[in-house]
Amino acid sequence: MPGLEPIRPQLKLEVLNPDELASIKAATLHVLEQVGIHVPSERALRVFAERGAQVDRESQIVRLPPGLVMDAMNLAPRSYQLCGRAAGTELALDGTASYFCTDGCGVYALDFETGQQRASCKDDVAKMARVSDYLSSIAFYWPMVSAQDHAWTAPLHELDASFNNTVKHVQTETVMGEKAARYAVRMAEVIAGDAADMRARPPLSSLICTIAPLGQDRQGIEAGMVFAEAGIPVGFMSMPNMGLTAPVATGGALAAASAEVVSAMVLMQLVAPGAPTFYSIVASVMDPHSANYINAIAEKYLCHVAGVQIAHDWGVPVLGGAFGAQNLEAATWQHGRDSVYNSLMVPLAGADIVVGLGLLRASTLLVPEQIIFDDEIYHTCRILARGIDTSDDGLALDVIAEVGPRGHYLAQRNTRQHLRSWWFPELSHPQRPMHESAPPDIRRRARAKLDKILREHQTQPLDDAATAELQAILEAAERELDA
Amino acid sequence: MSKEEIITRLAQSVIDGEPEDAVELAKQALDEGLDPLVCINQGLTAGINRVGELFASGEYFLPDLIIGGEAMKAALAVLEPALAGDQERQILGRVVLGTVRGDLHEIGKTLVGTMLTANGFLVTDIGIDKPAADFVSAAREANATLIGASALLTTTMPEQQKIVEELKEAGLRDQVRVMIGGAPITQGWADKIGADGYAEDAISAVALAKQLVGVPV
Repeated sequence: MPGLEPIRPQLKLEVLNPDELASIKAATLHVLEQVGIHVPSERALRVFAERGAQVDRESQIVRLPPGLVMDAMNLAPRSYQLCGRAAGTELALDGTASYFCTDGCGVYALDFETGQQRASCKDDVAKMARVSDYLSSIAFYWPMVSAQDHAWTAPLHELDASFNNTVKHVQTETVMGEKAARYAVRMAEVIAGDAADMRARPPLSSLICTIAPLGQDRQGIEAGMVFAEAGIPVGFMSMPNMGLTAPVATGGALAAASAEVVSAMVLMQLVAPGAPTFYSIVASVMDPHSANYINAIAEKYLCHVAGVQIAHDWGVPVLGGAFGAQNLEAATWQHGRDSVYNSLMVPLAGADIVVGLGLLRASTLLVPEQIIFDDEIYHTCRILARGIDTSDDGLALDVIAEVGPRGHYLAQRNTRQHLRSWWFPELSHPQRPMHESAPPDIRRRARAKLDKILREHQTQPLDDAATAELQAILEAAERELDA
Repeated sequence: MSKEEIITRLAQSVIDGEPEDAVELAKQALDEGLDPLVCINQGLTAGINRVGELFASGEYFLPDLIIGGEAMKAALAVLEPALAGDQERQILGRVVLGTVRGDLHEIGKTLVGTMLTANGFLVTDIGIDKPAADFVSAAREANATLIGASALLTTTMPEQQKIVEELKEAGLRDQVRVMIGGAPITQGWADKIGADGYAEDAISAVALAKQLVGVPV
């Protein structure tokens, strides 16, 4: 596996100043205390009631006093690590780097052989996990599409395909409900070795969406509680559609979205104090004629950056949103436009983890070579975020003196040494070894690279015992859940 | 160090692009009584061929080629004077290279020279801002079979045509092939002025030169 290359931003971007952050936090606390959150889970309602929240059993609305919120959020760690199953896959969520993952969870794929659109399947998850295992832009893996060739256990089959095909950390965004979560925890224990190692080096984390406005999903938070108790990092994402499921104004949308996310994080701390959790807001704007979700609009980018700042203001790690283009085809002007803003802005704001590369049509369609395009945009952003090297080596005064006026730098060791560590955009500027010309069509170039990875890259396999244990867990889950 | 080891390390110094090492090893080879022609053919040439392979596969960049070429050149300067009277390094051809009159652009022309040298041509670089007559006289003196003329300005392109014409006037056109290059140059221009070929960059220039002297590319 090539080494990970996270974005380590030297340039910083902020869209909220400290007073504005304080206003949003105050507004969030106000919403949590005065308006409340819909929590349709008996277990969660019981936990909130026992810890001093105002719980209306009939409406399932929970109102949280600010003291309870602040105390619980103070238990949530700012820093922890996500791990894979091999050395070199550790992701330290400590504010120094942004780690990107694949997008998910699509439901369609363009078939790898025929190119025809069809329902996604487990083998798609496996193939893309292997591609992700290779790409240095992908620090951890979201199963990219749904394993629709399996019934209620599809999310667990997605994990099986992921664990078998990448040594990198896996984050599920589809395991929902207490029972499925318990099977997922058992699978993570197999990968880590045992329960203690799983807590210390979690190979699995979970992302759960809230329901805007101001609601939780029962299956989601009940899975979340299982994960939090087991030491599996769990995050919550609000995806408000401004004007439809959130105020159309960005400030109000952020406050409401934050109330959703924070209420779920508070619940996790109440059931498992100190549990590793993370925060996420991926807001966008309603299409004013259809009420659909506009995937690429300026307010969305602003809210993505704001979400990162708000999370860090709460003192927790954050999952930012990037890529996930709306368009239907790879390699278009629209794809570039949709992807570049947030894939640069979100890491510059300091997002700890970022989703995600590789899907089109608003994260529903897997076009296999799309991840290669996104990989190139990612690395461009990585270099941009690094800024200018003004160290002695970067200024290279000795080399300037040696070459002098009217010379050239091609014969300098300094040039040779630096070029070796440079990243070159091979899709948009294909390097041309002698006697070989790159295909003129950029999409064919991307596809050729993808096919080469699939042909040549072999993931370090799980040992036979682990593979067998995963299979046994899947069979048990099928007996229980599919029945 | 054994003789085989010296030759292997000589090749490696070219592959690694270490001119100082190449010179030291060349001196050591002579001190140990090695045949300089063997050192050139089995050491330096083997090394530069490997550099070419690594470049062709995309693993090496231009600086690797150029620094490798410099290492070879530096070691040749030690080994060639030691060749016996009847020994001669095998070369693919003799080339006179320069930038035409009125044009001060040097880097591209120098790069072509480095690449040609590294690939086995003997290059006489006459420099920049040179009139057609200088190319012709240098070709006669060097007994060259190729002239390479660079022009980076639209205003200096006609100087390339003059070289072709003056070669004809001097009666050398049958013996000397002309290859041209430079940013505004095209194959169409080469055809128009009766040049023998156009190369877009230094890599293609090597292929063109080999083709013009009848060596398999």
